[in-house]
Amino acid sequence: MAAYFGNAAEDLVPDALAGFARAHASLVTHDTEHGYLLARDPAPGRRVALLSGGGSGHEPLHTGFVGRGMLDAAVPGRVFASPHNRSVYEASVAAAREDGVLHVVKNYTGDRINFGIAAERLARRGIPCARVLVDDDLASESEEIRAGRRGTGGTVLVEKILGAAADSGLALDELAKLGGELVARCRTLAVASRAHTAPTTGGPAFELDAGQLEYGVGIHGERADRARAHGPSSELVAEMTGSLLQTLAPSRGDAVIALVNGLGSVTPLELYGIFGELGRLLDDRGLDLARCLVGNYVTALDMRGFSITLMVADPLVLERYDAPVRTAALSW
Amino acid sequence: MTTAHFDGAFTDGWIRRFAASARATEPELTALDQQSGDGDFGVNLNAGTTAALARLDAAGPPDAAGRRRAAGPLDAAATAFLDEVGGTSGPLFGLLLQSLAAAADVEDDRLTTPALAKGVAEGLAAIRRVGEAEPGDKTLVDALHPAAEALAAAGAPTPPDQALRRAAEAAWQGVRDTAGLRARLGRASYLRERAADVPDPGAVGVALFLTSAGGTVTALTPYLSPAVS
Repeated sequence: MAAYFGNAAEDLVPDALAGFARAHASLVTHDTEHGYLLARDPAPGRRVALLSGGGSGHEPLHTGFVGRGMLDAAVPGRVFASPHNRSVYEASVAAAREDGVLHVVKNYTGDRINFGIAAERLARRGIPCARVLVDDDLASESEEIRAGRRGTGGTVLVEKILGAAADSGLALDELAKLGGELVARCRTLAVASRAHTAPTTGGPAFELDAGQLEYGVGIHGERADRARAHGPSSELVAEMTGSLLQTLAPSRGDAVIALVNGLGSVTPLELYGIFGELGRLLDDRGLDLARCLVGNYVTALDMRGFSITLMVADPLVLERYDAPVRTAALSW
Repeated sequence: MTTAHFDGAFTDGWIRRFAASARATEPELTALDQQSGDGDFGVNLNAGTTAALARLDAAGPPDAAGRRRAAGPLDAAATAFLDEVGGTSGPLFGLLLQSLAAAADVEDDRLTTPALAKGVAEGLAAIRRVGEAEPGDKTLVDALHPAAEALAAAGAPTPPDQALRRAAEAAWQGVRDTAGLRARLGRASYLRERAADVPDPGAVGVALFLTSAGGTVTALTPYLSPAVS
């Protein structure tokens, strides 16, 4: 704990939740028994509740996205660990609307299992439940990885757009289908030049050689499968963007939503520079950079790194992205 | 005992015998899991059965007419495993118990052989959906799958106690067969061939549960030896 400002490593999450609930009391209520947050004033027209969750350490994800226009509930686990199925189940029961609850789950084995168990329990109780699995991380795409691509930065865009769709009264199966389509047109790549600080030891989670960066990191402090020289941003961002566009294969003139996301301790100064590079690259490819977010949205504690997420959007997706939202971390 | 269905007194006794079996074999389960996993399966199973006992005791005795819902003790045990056990295999056991309770509910609150077959088959399906495990992955599915097949084959004419005996035998055969499998999922998969000759502890747990319908298991060794069937 030496480097962290807290009481004890195991108290970081419950202490932060209590503080968050007080700071944003107009937006959320806090169930201290099961450790979840509910939207205080969700849109009345929703037929389906949107719920997400997963390990903590990614703030503002997911608690910062609870509120009007986005999530009805967030269920945080311990740092980088899945929440218990009971918390997911109890939060789902509390949040469910007449057409049930949609779980937005980042693709990690523990989250899949715990949200899956909660879904089986909801079925026993007669509450309809469906899942959107977010697996946008391009770096973990491999024939050899049975677990599949990880879920990372794209989760924010998926939750925002699904929130607007839910507010327009879509049914559970329609939302689940839309979620799958959004994930399919969205990919993320992340790099890091320094590991996060481990809360238990106060030291870096791994060491990097000087002048190197990890190319293709996740959001749990894991190393990437390769390191590369830490050169100028123009080259790095071009390589990342090239890989994303090769996979997404947009057509000239397509609208794109871009998220340049800090992983915890990259400065806004750097993030806007990176975004500038990205914008020029998209212009050169004849793409329409229609919307953007620049800042810390899906972090990995204090990892010194960033991710780029691109989502190919049609007019309806843009309309839903633009729909009003009032949460702690996104508001317009 | 030959009866066409189990009632609440029976399912209550079944869960209590399961708890006694889990307690008696905890050291053996722990030793098995230390060879293939992180060694906490025996402890987690006992945490689940102990929590289940507390819920059974809290539920009190049968009603004045001596009736007790067959689903009641199974639901109580399901909630205990789902709510109060960490790790993965404990809550997965909860799903099996929950499916058995649901099947008893449907069958006029009586646990007949077809209801048992339905409950175990649906529990297996739920566990496979959630855990994404297939037969041959060296998980508890390797005991539950043959047990479900044995129950389905038994059919309505077979009394439930006899059907469960066959299911338990099929489960133990499945357990012994896991000793020859290589894990592809879960903690044991990281050990690759080092865990190859050890039966899967989760599969043992399933066989323990089914055997406990008829009596308490005090030692695993006779069931794990290939000479016994």
